[in-house]
Amino acid sequence: MVEFLQFTLSGIVFGMIYAAVALSLVLIWRGTRLLNYAQGGMAMFTTYVAIEVIYRTGSYWAGFVVALAAGIVLGAAFQVTIIRPTMNKPPLNGVIVTIGLLTLLEGLAGIFFGGQYRSFPAAFSVTGLKIGTTPLGVSRFDVFTAAAVLVTTLALAAAFKYTTAGLRMRAAAFNATIARLSGIRVARVLTVGWALAGLIGALAGVLVSPSTFLYPNSMDTIFVFGFTAAVIGGLDSPVGAVVGGLLLGIALSYVGGYLGSDLTAVVALGVLVVVLMIRPGGLFSAARVRRV
Amino acid sequence: MSSAAEAAPAGADESSTLMIEGLVAGYGGVIALDGVSISAGAAAITAVLGANGAGKTTLLRAVSGMIRPRRGRILLGGADLAGRNPEQMVRAGIAHVPEGQGVIAELTVEENLRVGMMSWRGALRRPSVPARAGHARAANSRAERAAALDEAYERFKPLADRRRKLAATLSGGERQMLVIARALLARPRVLLLDEPSLGLAPRVMTQVMDLVVRLSRDNGLTIVLVEQNARVALAIADHGVVLNLGRVVASADARTLATDVALRHHYLGF
Repeated sequence: MVEFLQFTLSGIVFGMIYAAVALSLVLIWRGTRLLNYAQGGMAMFTTYVAIEVIYRTGSYWAGFVVALAAGIVLGAAFQVTIIRPTMNKPPLNGVIVTIGLLTLLEGLAGIFFGGQYRSFPAAFSVTGLKIGTTPLGVSRFDVFTAAAVLVTTLALAAAFKYTTAGLRMRAAAFNATIARLSGIRVARVLTVGWALAGLIGALAGVLVSPSTFLYPNSMDTIFVFGFTAAVIGGLDSPVGAVVGGLLLGIALSYVGGYLGSDLTAVVALGVLVVVLMIRPGGLFSAARVRRV
Repeated sequence: MSSAAEAAPAGADESSTLMIEGLVAGYGGVIALDGVSISAGAAAITAVLGANGAGKTTLLRAVSGMIRPRRGRILLGGADLAGRNPEQMVRAGIAHVPEGQGVIAELTVEENLRVGMMSWRGALRRPSVPARAGHARAANSRAERAAALDEAYERFKPLADRRRKLAATLSGGERQMLVIARALLARPRVLLLDEPSLGLAPRVMTQVMDLVVRLSRDNGLTIVLVEQNARVALAIADHGVVLNLGRVVASADARTLATDVALRHHYLGF
């Protein structure tokens, strides 16, 4: 019973990280119908930026803030410079460009920061919390991780729903033609979407790296799980991304805990296949067929 | 028989006359508009008629900036707007209601209407907006936006009752109402309407056409109306233009066109 509780809680924590990656993918997919394969690579890169800042300033929070800012800048800069020219081209062009970007970022990270595993600090204690004498299997930092993603997600959801900028983004995502005819500068809105995706990806990178170490490929697995979570949620739905992330995180935690951690990737694939068989559009998609 | 400028009603603002001169536009290797010249009189309804593939929709798409004209001029208030993108066109005073699918179904009725005001910020100063000069002065305060929404609900009462509902739940007539209301919130001088009667029940279609007439008569809007249903369009239009294979083949007073039996048989099928 205690084990079950521990697996559930740590599943939620990892689920929140998958949710963050999924959310960043959904933000870009909704606006441009493009899957950003470089999302994990961007997060890896901004996390390296964070570790350098932490090393030089001695302040975790300075690194944290700089990483998020770097995520925004990187996302916006990539959209403007290399994604925008692919937008009126066949969809495959954009896909290839993001895969190329991933390779480039991982190569540059190796050149600038070295290929060895580096440990990344956590903001809070990583020793397990207890209720009475019962260990919960999660630490203060895990609580911070879950809370940070949750707060970011809720803030984003509120901004989408209640602000004019949010309405502009939704209108552009749902119907770019009408948005443009109404005066919304859709190209600019898409840049903002990439910037936000960069921000959330950077957050995920900083939060996950204390448990995975940091190396040029360190976000690859997280990206795959985040992608799986996004597809489970329907790729179109921010709520779906979060729910998909949590479902996947908890499921993988049970599998890792009870069956052994070498099975998690297989089970992630299994979950994906089952969801797509039952609801091909994902759990939260409107009942419409989309090209993929 | 090229473009005869329509005599505008008294008090109409001449800067609202839309002049299209020698417009050439197309898709890839296909020329869809081949030197089209049309003058849409201020505060008048100009019906653009013709068979499928005549270039009617392409004309509106070129005027609103959705496709870039290869040649020609689009003159409004003395400025040549050809080559501008849609975001700039709506700021210059041209609102386009495209055919079908005009509502954003995933947004509520009120959100759809708010989208109509997205061109306000940074809009070009337009000192003379007919019948609404008072609005143009105050920049774009929250109160002014709320007042504009109220005005839209006042004019389109069925929308007021459903403001929090998703646009997907509206009937065909209500959707058409919503897209026209949204276009009006951009405070255009020129309204481009593409097949507003498409798929509507006859009674609803009559209501929409009445609305179009009132927008021109009461609000002084310059209206370019593309219609498959030539009979209905000519009944409310002041001026009619017939396109065939991307060229203007007739341009005359709407009554004249409606009574020209040979032309009707040849191009309009009634």
